[in-house]
Amino acid sequence: MVWAFVLLSPGGQAGQAGQAPCRVLYARAFGTSPGTPLGGPRQRLRRKEQLLVVARQVASQCQLLQSSLGRLSSPQLPQLPDEPVSLQDAPGGLFQMPPGDPFPDRVTVVWLSVLALACALVCDPQENLSLAEITLRRLAPRLLISLRLLSPGAGVLLRPDAADALLDRLLPHGQMLFLNERFLQAVDRELGIKASR
Amino acid sequence: MFSAAAESFLRQAREIHEEELRRFAGRVSALLQGPEPGAEAAEGLRRLHLTVAATKYPRRLDGRFVELLQTVLCSPKSPEQVQVLCAAILREMSPCNDLILRCDEIQDTKLLSLVSSVLLAQGNKKGEVAAVGQRVVKVLEGRLPEGQSALLLLPVLANVINLSPESLTEEQTDAVSRKLADWLRYASTQQGIVQPSGGFFSSPRTKQPAPVTEVDGAIATDFFTVLSVGQHYTQDQWLNVQAFSMLRNWLLFYGGQEGKAPNPDDKPGMDRSVTSMVSTTSTSSRLLPPKEHLREKAFEYCQRLIEQSTRRPLKKDDGDLQRACLIEAVTIMDIICKQDSSYVYRAVSFLKILHGRICGDATYARALLPIAQFFLNHSTAIEIFHLLLDLPCLTAALDIQLRAAALPTSEKATSDPAVKPATCLEAFRHPLYKSTFQHFLRTKSAPEDTPESLIPLRQLLGSLAGNPRVVQCAETVPVLLELFFRVMAESADGSLINQLVVLLLQRSDQLYEIPTFKDDVYRVLSSQLAMLCKLHPALVVELSTEILEFSGAVSNIQSKEPIFTHVVWAVGEYLSVSYDKRCTVEQITRFFETLEAVLFEITQLRPLASTPSCAPRAISVLMATLTKLAARSQDLIPRVSMFLSKMRTFVQSPAVTSVYCEEDLEEILIRATELMNLLKMPSVAQFVFNPPMDVASTRLQREVNDSLPLALRMVTHLLEPAPGCTPV
Repeated sequence: MVWAFVLLSPGGQAGQAGQAPCRVLYARAFGTSPGTPLGGPRQRLRRKEQLLVVARQVASQCQLLQSSLGRLSSPQLPQLPDEPVSLQDAPGGLFQMPPGDPFPDRVTVVWLSVLALACALVCDPQENLSLAEITLRRLAPRLLISLRLLSPGAGVLLRPDAADALLDRLLPHGQMLFLNERFLQAVDRELGIKASR
Repeated sequence: MFSAAAESFLRQAREIHEEELRRFAGRVSALLQGPEPGAEAAEGLRRLHLTVAATKYPRRLDGRFVELLQTVLCSPKSPEQVQVLCAAILREMSPCNDLILRCDEIQDTKLLSLVSSVLLAQGNKKGEVAAVGQRVVKVLEGRLPEGQSALLLLPVLANVINLSPESLTEEQTDAVSRKLADWLRYASTQQGIVQPSGGFFSSPRTKQPAPVTEVDGAIATDFFTVLSVGQHYTQDQWLNVQAFSMLRNWLLFYGGQEGKAPNPDDKPGMDRSVTSMVSTTSTSSRLLPPKEHLREKAFEYCQRLIEQSTRRPLKKDDGDLQRACLIEAVTIMDIICKQDSSYVYRAVSFLKILHGRICGDATYARALLPIAQFFLNHSTAIEIFHLLLDLPCLTAALDIQLRAAALPTSEKATSDPAVKPATCLEAFRHPLYKSTFQHFLRTKSAPEDTPESLIPLRQLLGSLAGNPRVVQCAETVPVLLELFFRVMAESADGSLINQLVVLLLQRSDQLYEIPTFKDDVYRVLSSQLAMLCKLHPALVVELSTEILEFSGAVSNIQSKEPIFTHVVWAVGEYLSVSYDKRCTVEQITRFFETLEAVLFEITQLRPLASTPSCAPRAISVLMATLTKLAARSQDLIPRVSMFLSKMRTFVQSPAVTSVYCEEDLEEILIRATELMNLLKMPSVAQFVFNPPMDVASTRLQREVNDSLPLALRMVTHLLEPAPGCTPV
């Protein structure tokens, strides 16, 4: 199953002056894995910390990728049209996290770098990872639009309902969906997102 | 992109004081309780959400406010956006102590989905997951409200079963299985119609609904699947997508039979699957029980998907989905075949064709993995077994190949065939050994044409035994073997088990010549042999020729003692008419005579120089097995008794005492005496050594089997009372 979805800002690279820390911008967990201490603030704290660990790991993968490609993270936002951009070539990857660190069971994290942000899915290792990748590549551009991630300001933090609405269609209760392009267009129509091309 | 402004905003949210938060919550509270909570209320809820989410440590919100959130969430008058935001805050805060939310009475599927998301986030301390599961199934089974469908509930159900599969009863899973089968198989093949929005005065042009197409544009001629394309979709087509998306986990949790024990009377898998292929057709499968019905529909769906996934899509992005569907379909087929091996026959031929079609295409590389997994699980076990045992040799051969490639051309000439190679590197270029190397380094499977000259090469490669790569590889082989046999235990049928046992016996002297490696492999193979015999006891009868040959060779005791001991033990345990009706008195006698001869040879009073000295365990197990056989064919009893009575002379003979240690000899003598005593009461012996076919029948027999020495001691005490006690 998919345990969580995380949208994060990887922050600046280590060693750079004025580096920003890695921040979780939006996260959605789909249940508590067995073995988590139940009840009270400790359960919530554990959840937040687990998601932060995932985010940091994704962030370091993004930064590694950036530095290996020789690109510096730029603070300026590119001006892009108001449409879901095709992120077919956006870099991404996957890695495993061993049992106990930070989740009780082993998990596989599939991640995607989206302009200067990143998003990730935390899955069981036996999950269909090709589908996870497809799901992320669909969520990412739509999140860009719905959360107005391309415009400056704190919009991303203040629209949990927009993110929820997207996830409810493309990853309802953590269920990845085998949607072909036409189904996806139908989803876009319902959400009022202008389809690309 | 996460600008300085946003960063400072986040900091502000973190640093909001409790008093300020309380006041803000009060304002939002008032807005929510007002006549029509609108945009302002939504905005307030958003800010509240951020404040709660911004810190790791919980923000305390007033209990009454939290209650209000729940009430607003469930109220039909609340705008959807407000409901969604209330749910988001409640989820962010969870686990909440003050949660009064319950799903028992909710009929509306949208609300049920929203409330479930909050309940499932609580962590199941109070059985929330089961409660949600129960409610969702109840709504699915009943009549849904007007205009609503099961669409929003299936993902909730999928989440529930992932978190806690035991939440649903068998009745409930059966009911859902039937629905899933229908949604998978009988979705409409016509495209959905868009409601014309021309207004009151326009006349609606009723268009004929067009049929759905395949991803390459061709008109679909078979049932609807996730790879079917249309301009608009109907509700049941959406349900088709949802049903397939959750199918794998559903089958994993609920598709198998509970406590299905392997049946030793089953014919080899091939026959069974052919007969069931004839009997299970599409029309008659409706009469099958729900599990089997769903299995059949799921299998057909996967077959169709596999066929659809090799079409050239008009939209490039559909290609990615095709590959994901392919992987999923093969995985599901694998699960189905594990749950019902009668599907293997259909699946294997299908997947072989698929494999042939995609193995040259790099874009389908990822799909090869589940196909390989499938074949490993269901048909190429023998080749894998060979491969595992040859892994260290392969590593050594690869190492040599690399080194040979790195040599300057002058040294690469083929060496003189008359001269025996002194090193591996020379052997690599030697014409006689070349074919053997090629065999190890083969890329295609070829277990049948194993060259005879593998043995000398293995010995030659022994010089590389210290190579770190080879050492590491040799260390992993026993682990991999155990894993291999674990898979075999779950999925192999009688005929495959027989093949494996024969190979085990044959290959036990064709291993890489490193002592530690051989010892470890023997250890694993002998324990796995016992496991295979337990699974398929009839193999002792079916493979009697091979086993007789193996156990009759005295040299095996020294070179492969663990395997020899376990083989002899297996004969004693399972060569019985209660395990296989084909076991005749002649067979028992034949085994008896073979083993008797072996035991005779190794317990000679004046051992020849050629007589191997054996582990005492081998002697013990031979004695025990002969006794067991005699208990079954009672005219052998006098022979065994006489033999056992000679053991006293054996252990006291000077030639023997110099070879074995005192404790071992004493053990042998004690065991011989106990067995002899047991044979004095043939009916007891028969009871002890011949458990009925349902092996774990009575506790006594289980315990006896586990603690035979103890039982023997008990009997001995009965027959030889301690001095001073006179039997009554």
